[in-house]
Amino acid sequence: MAREISRRDFLKVLSGTSVLGMGVAVTGCGRSDKPTMGGEGWLPEQYKGTGSYPAQVKGRVAIAPDNPSIVRDDEKCILCGRCIEACENVMTVHGHYPLPLKDEIACVHCGQCTLWCPTGAIAERSEIDKVRQAIRDESKYVVVQTAPATKVSLGEAFGMKPGAVIGGQQVAALRRLGFDAVYDTCFSADLTIMEEAAEVLQRLTVKKQELPHFTSCCPGWVKFCEYFYPDFIGHLSTCKSPQGMLGATIKSYLAAKKGIDPANVVSVAIMPCTAKKFEAGREELSHAEMADVDVVLTTRELARFLKQEHIDLNVLEPEDYDSLLGESSGAGRIFGTTGGVTEAAVRTLYYNATQQAPPAALLSWQPVRGLKAVKEARADVPGFGSVSIAVCHGLANVRPLLEDIRKHGSRWQFIEVMACPGGCIGGGGQPLSAPDNSAAVREKRIAAIYTGDTSARKHTSHENSEIKQIYEEFYGRPLSERAEKLLHTSFTDRSGRIFDK
Amino acid sequence: MAVLVDLTKCIGCESCVVACKLWNKLPYHPRRTVKRQEDDLDDTRWTVVQKKRVQGDNGREYTRFVKKQCMHCLEPACASACFSKALRVDENHAVVYYPDLCVGCRYCMLACPYDVPRYQWEEALPLITKCQLCSDRLKEGELPACVGACPTGTLTYGNREELLRKAHDIIDRNPRYVNYIYGEKELGGASWLYISDQPFEKLGFKMDLEQTPPSDYTRSYLTKVPFLAAAWGLFLVGLTAYHHHKENKENKEKQGGGKDA
Repeated sequence: MAREISRRDFLKVLSGTSVLGMGVAVTGCGRSDKPTMGGEGWLPEQYKGTGSYPAQVKGRVAIAPDNPSIVRDDEKCILCGRCIEACENVMTVHGHYPLPLKDEIACVHCGQCTLWCPTGAIAERSEIDKVRQAIRDESKYVVVQTAPATKVSLGEAFGMKPGAVIGGQQVAALRRLGFDAVYDTCFSADLTIMEEAAEVLQRLTVKKQELPHFTSCCPGWVKFCEYFYPDFIGHLSTCKSPQGMLGATIKSYLAAKKGIDPANVVSVAIMPCTAKKFEAGREELSHAEMADVDVVLTTRELARFLKQEHIDLNVLEPEDYDSLLGESSGAGRIFGTTGGVTEAAVRTLYYNATQQAPPAALLSWQPVRGLKAVKEARADVPGFGSVSIAVCHGLANVRPLLEDIRKHGSRWQFIEVMACPGGCIGGGGQPLSAPDNSAAVREKRIAAIYTGDTSARKHTSHENSEIKQIYEEFYGRPLSERAEKLLHTSFTDRSGRIFDK
Repeated sequence: MAVLVDLTKCIGCESCVVACKLWNKLPYHPRRTVKRQEDDLDDTRWTVVQKKRVQGDNGREYTRFVKKQCMHCLEPACASACFSKALRVDENHAVVYYPDLCVGCRYCMLACPYDVPRYQWEEALPLITKCQLCSDRLKEGELPACVGACPTGTLTYGNREELLRKAHDIIDRNPRYVNYIYGEKELGGASWLYISDQPFEKLGFKMDLEQTPPSDYTRSYLTKVPFLAAAWGLFLVGLTAYHHHKENKENKEKQGGGKDA
């Protein structure tokens, strides 16, 4: 028989328990041994252990949210500290300027951190969609240029061994993507050499106060110079980089020749480099309010783009670049490696000074080749004298060289600088093809770059018949008024943004 | 124990923010009904680094980054406001939150002078969230996650007295610094101490805080409340007992009177 509970008893029990509960809560009798909130996650090994032994490799570099070249996904970051290693010790940027900050976090956009990042947290700012949209837009004439170093690295993203030469397949792949024309940055490397050799000759003979001459093809190095060594800005070559030169030529000479409104031309560049994205956004690198180059894709982005469109590089037959801006000499092709610009420039400098073809030794000039940090060489030009040359790559190697020049003056007249170790083949936009960002891979890519030179029919920039044609039809001669306007640029002192001025 | 933040050394890398997220397993893409400000604290961001542009005395603008998190007051207003003792100060001066004691009243949010505790508005059974100063790590002798991850030496963990001495020393030696340690005296002092080369008010710090901890104002009478309550109860019990006694006596007298009659 169910026992009846009166309404009164029920309410008594109810209020009794709630009073008891409130009492427990108020007095804190429910004191619990359960863990507090937080601490459910993990931290990498170096952050364990007691506080008196601080981690050696820790934290990460600062990346501004509006950095045009690189972005970071915090969710993937494990604070391994490798980006700091790359930035501070390989490129000497992080930790090499005084704190407190002035205007900005220094970044030369080299992208070495993207190569070192083990989780892919740091990556290039992807602009694939911009290119895809431009290609789909019928009203746009979309042209693309490919840098020399991409021709020996793109294959790695498709399972090929480092050093596989896929320049021709890359052209075929770009046509499959729907680009209207595919041009070669090696062509404009030849153009750069024409301008730069003339400029060097001028500096060697007339404007001696502008010696030593520094190359300026490398946007990472240029920004490094603008930040840390503004006193050398006047010594930088005023030549635009090959990317900028081809961009300017496409929107002027080519557009006029093809009868296209340059405003409808979308100029894309495939580069091994993240800093090229920053370079493309420079105000100096535009004319008639149009950027020379509209979009830069890194080698990695191109590989991703191709895979998205189901284009397999392995099964494509090599194709040739489009004519007008597609021929390249061996000199233009070796731009992608440290020492390449120097070797190419010296070949044409020799010709400019002597009107004779350079000797065989200069066509395989060993002193400037290889991965040695600072390579020194002397080019003897008969009837002119000798030019002393230094070739340096990896900004950590560049810094002491520049400090030495600041203190003791330069014993070189021509200095080639590439920000990334190994030059463009080791660029921050290259495929992540080896577990380590290793010298072995760089050597294979360099060897592949030089096969491009040996297999070329011409080995000097001035022999390039399309170069001859463009000077006849458009630029007149190196350093002409039009060439100065379209192919040369200026630089900005950025030191005040990170130093007290 | 305490943490000293030298704002002149911060480059805004947000290593501390990521370390906090990693160690406390806080989600990056929480379900949100209301969009929240990117650089403000919320229930999944217990620490943030805010970018500030400051005009210096020389008229020039500077970029500064300011780390924000619970200040871990020595006499926390949140803990004194919490009637269920879900917020307590532990032996390392960390103001620690015990979620299983929390009733969700959010008094701590109202009480906090720095506007730090955040509520899990999107949860069915919401809790309060805030920096715990990695109290579990401190007990093991490890650094707070954020301090351990800082690559520029902006954050230093140590004994509060020593850090204060160090901070005064830095300020004395270097005229660049503002002669003020934020957190030294604010509301009775905090375990997070800041030094800076730019005035704190320009960096968004609250400068109108008193030096007296808020709990000092209420302690004098709030401590007497339990006794008052008990005394009031006793008084009522006594009153009832007296009333009953009187009633019984009257009843008895009535009944007795009836017998007599």
